[in-house]
Amino acid sequence: MNAAAISRLSRALLVLLAVSFLTFIIGHESGDPVMLLARGDATAVQKQDLRHSLGLDRPVMAQYGTYLRNALHGDLGESYRQHLPVTRLIALRLPASLGLATTAFVLAMSLALLSGLLCVIYRHSMLDKAVAGLAVLSQVVPGFWLGLILVLIFAVHLGLLPVSGAGDFEHLILPAITLALPTFGRMSRMIRAGILDALNSDYIRTARAKGLPERDVLLHHALKNALLPLITQAGLELGDMVGNAFIIEIVFAWPGIGRMTVESIQQRDFLVAQGCVLIIGTGFVLINLAVDLVYAAIDPRVRARR
Amino acid sequence: MSRRPLTPFRNGVAVFAGVSALLLVGCGQKATQPIVVASVSDVSSLDPHLLDVNHPTGSVIWSLFDSLVRRGPDGADLPRLASSWERVDDLTWRFHLRADVKFQDGSPFTADDVKFSFDRMNISPFNSEQQLWQQTTLKQVTIIDPHTVELKTDKPATTMLYWLEEAFVAPKAYYSTHDEAWLNTHPMGSGPYKLVEWVPGDHLTLSANPTYFGGEPPLHDVEFKVVPDLNARLNGLATGDIDLALNLTPDTVTQANTAHSRGSTVLGLRKLHFGIAQHSTQAALRDPRVRRALNYAVDVPTMIRTLLHGATVPLPSVVNPPNNNPALKPYGYHPDLARQLLAQAGYSQGFDLDVDFTPMWGQDKDIAETVAGYLNAVGIRTHLHADEWSDFKNHLANQSFNGIFYAGWAALINPAVELVIFTCNQEDNASGYCDAKYDDLVHAANTNFDPVSRKAQIEGAEAMVWNDAYWIFLWRDPEYAGISNRISYTLRGDDYVEIYTATPRQP
Repeated sequence: MNAAAISRLSRALLVLLAVSFLTFIIGHESGDPVMLLARGDATAVQKQDLRHSLGLDRPVMAQYGTYLRNALHGDLGESYRQHLPVTRLIALRLPASLGLATTAFVLAMSLALLSGLLCVIYRHSMLDKAVAGLAVLSQVVPGFWLGLILVLIFAVHLGLLPVSGAGDFEHLILPAITLALPTFGRMSRMIRAGILDALNSDYIRTARAKGLPERDVLLHHALKNALLPLITQAGLELGDMVGNAFIIEIVFAWPGIGRMTVESIQQRDFLVAQGCVLIIGTGFVLINLAVDLVYAAIDPRVRARR
Repeated sequence: MSRRPLTPFRNGVAVFAGVSALLLVGCGQKATQPIVVASVSDVSSLDPHLLDVNHPTGSVIWSLFDSLVRRGPDGADLPRLASSWERVDDLTWRFHLRADVKFQDGSPFTADDVKFSFDRMNISPFNSEQQLWQQTTLKQVTIIDPHTVELKTDKPATTMLYWLEEAFVAPKAYYSTHDEAWLNTHPMGSGPYKLVEWVPGDHLTLSANPTYFGGEPPLHDVEFKVVPDLNARLNGLATGDIDLALNLTPDTVTQANTAHSRGSTVLGLRKLHFGIAQHSTQAALRDPRVRRALNYAVDVPTMIRTLLHGATVPLPSVVNPPNNNPALKPYGYHPDLARQLLAQAGYSQGFDLDVDFTPMWGQDKDIAETVAGYLNAVGIRTHLHADEWSDFKNHLANQSFNGIFYAGWAALINPAVELVIFTCNQEDNASGYCDAKYDDLVHAANTNFDPVSRKAQIEGAEAMVWNDAYWIFLWRDPEYAGISNRISYTLRGDDYVEIYTATPRQP
């Protein structure tokens, strides 16, 4: 178990190292931040001074070496544009991203589970068809459009919720629903299909033959087995919610890390982009780790294989 | 599998619906809120000497700090920290400072602070943003007494007051004892507002400075909020959550007319144009007849009417009114004349022309495509390129465009600053134009304090640019904003927001 854990951890670190190296190289090859930072009428000497003071005139590998050394000490550098420590910028944005992603994830998963189960129980009913329709809609309706429509209805016309920005719980409701919907659509269909698949298995026949009530058959036997393959998918969905929420973050003026990543790339603010990618990468690695652990906890076969 | 209903699920659905309904009902109450200014992007720094853009960074710096001279919305040079000034000789300016000014930490403002601030602007990294020294050929700042300073220049500097309007004074004691990281987020000025908090990426809050020498500003609490999405800014106006929404568009400004707000348009000062690259592989662009043909081929008045809903006027010169040469008139739409000129220049079969644009000045794609369409109509074969902003800026800096490029220039009223773009070796001379006669005129005007001969030199330089058609001249960039019914505010043409000039509006 220890050896497995160490091997997994070292693989995770290697992934992060590769991610940071690639981001660094791609960032440096894609343009000169000094051109965006300095005024158009700054002289070549002034631009060179600025390049020097930012350390951008050193060889790229030397810059990367310094970056790694500092990163290991918890220093991810300073934003070229805002002159603030990257760790501070991330610390400011990460809670908003995590809050939004967690809420959306919990919302999507609980609704998906509920609707998936209901669709199995009342399959081919109006409810089943309605959920199927909603699932398809959730995949084809772009998030930014849905967000705007929800804002128009609930914030502008009904005045029930705030238009945009972060703050208390009410600010969270519309962006969370917008972010949750695509995940809800995918997961509810997968849960429904997974349970129906499981219900055709031999062990379900056995369980029913034992005389178990239908509820126990469904919840303890079919659902548990159907959930296994969905855990991986759920993990990926959560990762996406942190990293890919930037459109939602723009529509709702949500100060999350997705928007910061995109803005920093546009502004060639490499160290910020780098920090964001590292944090999102770390998030993915942690989620994968968590998925593996949950797998092991739920499925005895996974434990036995180790 | 039976269809036996399972009651716990039903209960669950009912509970969920109930909780949601309660949550929705509980929302929607608005407490008294500060005046909210919504902008596309965030402030980049609160260090007054790292000021990079007019808005929002400039607007916030103008609220927190003071300069010796204030730039009026019409370009007038107004007293601010300096109560008066005079030129001792052609190379020396003397400024008399107000004696009743205190910084927000209570320390008095003196000539020492002026010298310290200006000297600080001359070192890296500040000098890549602050052009006071370079543009005015400033050589030395001398303290005459605690309330008088003298600025000595290498050459006569007619633009001294203009550049001083962006030179902010910070207290020496505070700025020489704190490090840059601290100063970046903890500004200490003498301005009409004090910083309450800055949450980068989200908002920045200011509160009125009760001891401001010009009197406490009328609006007490102001919040600069980052709202990147246009629709989110419009929705905020409609619900009363936003009081000043900037960067609306010609198509959306009427949507700002709601129960809580109204749309507002001002004729901006930025001059939109297509630059014409002179280092192009396309030799045609170096022929003035071809450049004039490009101007005659584009129907600027129709574009203004259709794309901008008539919100602006064709450029009357490369210099903004009231300093423009009155003899110059817009080219007008004369496609036949354009074809004639092209034929005279030997391009009756047209030529290939790259057209570059970037999402920076609004409606970029529509305008670039329309202009390309007009040029196609007179036989020029256009090739449109949508550039990413940093690529575009690289091309500007390296003079490496190969055709024409859509850009904005000089949102200000100061002919000397406006004309300098076309001088040889000027850093932001993006088209690479270079004419020794023109340079002589502009440099003579910029070092000439005699108003009469200076005016003649400026108008001569304007006429050269105009008749030689250095640009495809379009129009002044209109500014569109939405203003809530809670405040009265007049937009500036240079997109700075002087929120301390806004007042509460009587219902």
